Amino acid sequence: MSYLLTTLTKKKEIDTIIRDTIDKVLVLRFGRAMDALCLQLDDILAKSSRDVSKFADVALVDIDSEDVQVYVKYFDITLIPSTVFFFNAHHMKMDSGTADHTKWVGAFHRKQDFIDVVEVCYLLFLSNPLNWIMPSIQIVDPGSVDIIMVA
Amino acid sequence: MATLADSFLADLEELSDNEADVNEEEGGVDATNMEEDIDGDIEDIEALNYDDLDNVSKLQKSQRFTDIMQKVEAALQNGSDISNHGMVLEDDPEYQLIVDCNVLSVDIENEIVIIHNFIRDKYRLKFPELESLVHHPIDYARVVKKIGNEMDLTLVDLEGLLPSAIIMVVSVTASTTSGKPLPEDVLQKTIDACDRALALDAAKKKVLDFVESRMSYIAPNLSAIVGSAVAAKLMGTAGGLSALAKMPACNVQLLGAKKKNLAGFSTATSQFRVGYLEQTEIFQSTPPPLRMRACRLLAAKSTLAARVDSTRGDPSGTAGRSFREEIHKKIEKWQEPPPAKQPKPLPVPDSEPKKKRGGRRLRKMKERYAVTDMRKLANRMLFGVPEESSLGDGLGEGYGMLGQAGSGKLRVSVGQSKLAAKVAKRFKEKSYGSSGATSGLTSSLAFTPVQGIELSNPQAHAHQLGGGTQSTYFSETGTFSKIKKT
Repeated sequence: MSYLLTTLTKKKEIDTIIRDTIDKVLVLRFGRAMDALCLQLDDILAKSSRDVSKFADVALVDIDSEDVQVYVKYFDITLIPSTVFFFNAHHMKMDSGTADHTKWVGAFHRKQDFIDVVEVCYLLFLSNPLNWIMPSIQIVDPGSVDIIMVA
Repeated sequence: MATLADSFLADLEELSDNEADVNEEEGGVDATNMEEDIDGDIEDIEALNYDDLDNVSKLQKSQRFTDIMQKVEAALQNGSDISNHGMVLEDDPEYQLIVDCNVLSVDIENEIVIIHNFIRDKYRLKFPELESLVHHPIDYARVVKKIGNEMDLTLVDLEGLLPSAIIMVVSVTASTTSGKPLPEDVLQKTIDACDRALALDAAKKKVLDFVESRMSYIAPNLSAIVGSAVAAKLMGTAGGLSALAKMPACNVQLLGAKKKNLAGFSTATSQFRVGYLEQTEIFQSTPPPLRMRACRLLAAKSTLAARVDSTRGDPSGTAGRSFREEIHKKIEKWQEPPPAKQPKPLPVPDSEPKKKRGGRRLRKMKERYAVTDMRKLANRMLFGVPEESSLGDGLGEGYGMLGQAGSGKLRVSVGQSKLAAKVAKRFKEKSYGSSGATSGLTSSLAFTPVQGIELSNPQAHAHQLGGGTQSTYFSETGTFSKIKKT
């Protein structure tokens, strides 16, 4: 159901959206609309986008388009879907049990898991006024997200 | 007429000093008609003594009445003639006739009431309960006429005059009535009065028909909203268009409302507080749950329309039609389903401070999870004194200060918490207040080895804390056994 979420295909669009989302968590999903796992993730994202709309924005990036390859390389996206979290133009890192802390790979099991991650992002960053210190979130169990916060 | 008057006068002299009324028989002037009615009312009190209907009801014989009836019949026969609108309304003879008709219909109503009283008073000797069973004057008159002097009601067929339930009640009451048959002349007078009432009723119907046929000319706006039949009825009951216009809308709503239901019938289904407006097309076409609101709306708009008509502000009736449209639209709007509920987005985390509650109820609730004295003691230890443990030798759960200080008791008595007070009270009542089941030699005192005589039974307490043999699952004084945070 990606018609509910904006799909970005150009570098400029990604730039503007990262810059313009102030005081809200920005969730960017990198993937393809045809992929089955991507579709699952998109479904969860679409259903929860309204619920978190007060403190988060959700957008999709199509990795097949030419313009965005720069970002694909920058974030080192090889597996799809990959979700990157931003807050106030800062890239948020999180420990999800894998080696890669820069992004979240794969889909979420439940809507609530995704909402929990976003809420924690928001809380952590808001409680930390010095934005250039990057707090990290540790996600212990990727299947059902029980969040242990590590500042 | 004069000779008749004289003969009556002779009868009347001993009973009343109202000689004026007899001379008023010729009256065609409105002023005297008013007096007639007033005199009729005054006489009504003394009507019990009167034998004659004519002294009570004069309307039918009055000149005014016959004049107007003649004109009405003529007009009805001529059919509707479209009078020229150029003429000022007040000068139009038809309009005058209609105004007269309105006044006359009110007079006829009053007259019918007077005659009804007369009939009732006469018939009371025969069948006193009938007046409380049949309320409507015309129905009463018809029933009286049908029954006549008959004592056995099974021979009388009241079919069609009354609803069948009421016929049943009437027949049953008649079989146990305390009345006696009337003498012949009284009976004759009563039947005459009934005839008179029915004739008046017929005349009123004619007048109303006439008014109805002219309604779209008299009050175009009002008839645009409620229809000409109901408009005629409203005007007739109110006593004219200006009288109707002066009424507040709540009164207009109640014009023509039937009075209380008959005894024995449930009032749950009664359509309350609606009068003639109930018969309008708009009212009939609204679904039942919205009917009360629709009735109020109708009454309001029709009052407005009546006011417009009384001042002839809009002879073409467009105001009435626009009111009607408004009413339709409003009723449509009421029937719309409510807007679909949108799920609210979640609130921003930590932006809304948690609402902390306090008070007695919360404290009581917190008591259930509070740390008990026993646990507090078990949590502490004396310096240099080793604690006992459940498995002995330092294994198992430690007992802390429980069982120490030489009290010789491992069990600390459970403190009287406020919550448990109720439970303890009930338990006490049960064990000490047992009525009659225990033998007369038992006493509430207990002999204990340590303290000597004690009032409260310490054994009972020991049982509470629990012999492993007694199951506390079904205990009435027990609380939760295991509280775990999930």
